[in-house]
Amino acid sequence: MAHIHKPLLGLLLFATTAFGQDAGSSDQETIRLLVQQVKELQQQVAALQAKSSGTPASAAPLSQPAEPQPDAAARAAELAEASLIMHEVHGIQWRGFGEVDYKVLDQRNQPGLGTFGFVPGSAGNFFTGDFDLFLSSKINDKASVLSEIVIGEGDAQTFNVDLERLLLKYEYDDHLKLSFGRYHTAIGYYNTAFHSGRWLQTTVNRPLIMEFAAEGGILPTQAVGVQAEGLIPSGKLGLQYILEYGSSDTVRPDIDGSGEIDDENNGNHINLGFYFRPDPVPGLQVGGSIYHDKISDIDFGPTARMSQSIGNAHVVYVAHGVEFLNEGFLIRHALEHSNLVFNNPAFYSQFSKRFGRIRPFFRYQYINANQKGSFEDVGLYYGPSFGARYDFDDNIAFKTQLDHTARKTRPDLNGLQMQLAFTF
Amino acid sequence: MTAKWMVIVLGGLAVLPCPSPAIAQTAGTAVVVSEKNRTREITLDELRKVFRGERRSWAVGMPIKLIVRDQGTPERVALLKLLGMSESEYKQYWIAQIFRGEAEAEPIALPSLGMQMEALTVFSGGITFVSAATVKPGMRVLKVDGHLPGDSGYPLH
Repeated sequence: MAHIHKPLLGLLLFATTAFGQDAGSSDQETIRLLVQQVKELQQQVAALQAKSSGTPASAAPLSQPAEPQPDAAARAAELAEASLIMHEVHGIQWRGFGEVDYKVLDQRNQPGLGTFGFVPGSAGNFFTGDFDLFLSSKINDKASVLSEIVIGEGDAQTFNVDLERLLLKYEYDDHLKLSFGRYHTAIGYYNTAFHSGRWLQTTVNRPLIMEFAAEGGILPTQAVGVQAEGLIPSGKLGLQYILEYGSSDTVRPDIDGSGEIDDENNGNHINLGFYFRPDPVPGLQVGGSIYHDKISDIDFGPTARMSQSIGNAHVVYVAHGVEFLNEGFLIRHALEHSNLVFNNPAFYSQFSKRFGRIRPFFRYQYINANQKGSFEDVGLYYGPSFGARYDFDDNIAFKTQLDHTARKTRPDLNGLQMQLAFTF
Repeated sequence: MTAKWMVIVLGGLAVLPCPSPAIAQTAGTAVVVSEKNRTREITLDELRKVFRGERRSWAVGMPIKLIVRDQGTPERVALLKLLGMSESEYKQYWIAQIFRGEAEAEPIALPSLGMQMEALTVFSGGITFVSAATVKPGMRVLKVDGHLPGDSGYPLH
């Protein structure tokens, strides 16, 4: 047996390796071919076993408990191959995210506020939110490209295309990873962990402090520039850094229904963050960041510039079915050539625990924007949200969420939002 | 060659393990890399970070290539136990990692030991779990927290 086994094994390995190298436009292509080869071999084995024993091919004997039976292995190989084929086209990995929402409020939505397709002036309606196409491709062992294109719904079922992210990434090693292009700024945790695909989020929406500026959020969540990040040698502390230098241009609709658009005309920003992922507590991340740029506010004059500094601290634990997110922010605006300073503190806390397919969640958010400053439309804004996410399978989730939002100068707002979120 | 011999040979290539005499009698799950890899040992914490995609290159700068077994195998069960995830959480975790730009692709899931061997040949930065009783020549078994499979105190079973 050994005499026959080794030459054949060598021949097969040589053949598959050579074939893989010839075909190797990408690692995934090589693997796909290898999986295909094994599947064919397993089918041959099953057929020969059936022929020699007179039993049907599906009744293959158990060879080793540690290895799957040929049928099971063939099915697994088929699935693996199908998955690779489905999500790879000529070395480009792709994935899509979509959602269908229904939202109802206990009062009419403010006129002029049509974010995510929620109809201005309506108390409740369906909308599709963001349709997200994610593409990535490995150029070589160190370099890759990532892009995220979002078709977002606006007012009256109009749609717009937005290049959310486009990054050329170069990974020298774990200590130095560079990215060039359009990115989501690394202010805190949420903006780096969650992007546009709602399926990835537990809740139906982002906390307002982490909402994208185009939807009324108050942080500069997107920019074009360069990012450097990596591991700092620190033993079991798992200290990491991230440094960004780039140009943001935050344009946000006021969320008080005035229909006004604020263009911050941001100058170049610098953002530096550090966080720990300690070895003894897998899933824990503790860190913070400091962001700085200069912005305009037309309310203070056509040439007025303000220094904007944003501090963040976060403690996050995601492991063993538990998700516990806590982030605090201080947005400080200082008008140049003046003593005027506006502080805007904010935080959110979110807890969820998975029980099988269902994940109940609770979130509390708080923003206290200085009403004499740039975020007068937000003001004091706080309240709880709770609900649950149900995963039908690994690709489709249904979420329902109740919100109660207190606002200083307007009546409290209660809302129910249901969302069918999916990935494909 | 008779059909019976073909069955044995092809079955062996695709699904039958070929025990290495040195470790054939040991128990547990072995962490193996390519023989071209100079790494000799790893801590359990580092191993967890590697299979979470948080460590992406070996000390010499060579990219790490994660190779895992398909669902339902003891090696997969050991991996999920190490990561503290269910199968569903594992899938969602990797979709999220790719979307965040922290991984180019989900770890390669392979259906057989022969495929794992082949993958380690193709990817010199590869790392995978195999049953300790099925370690083959060409695979380098890593010490985990200073222990080899079969040692008392070896953390992966």
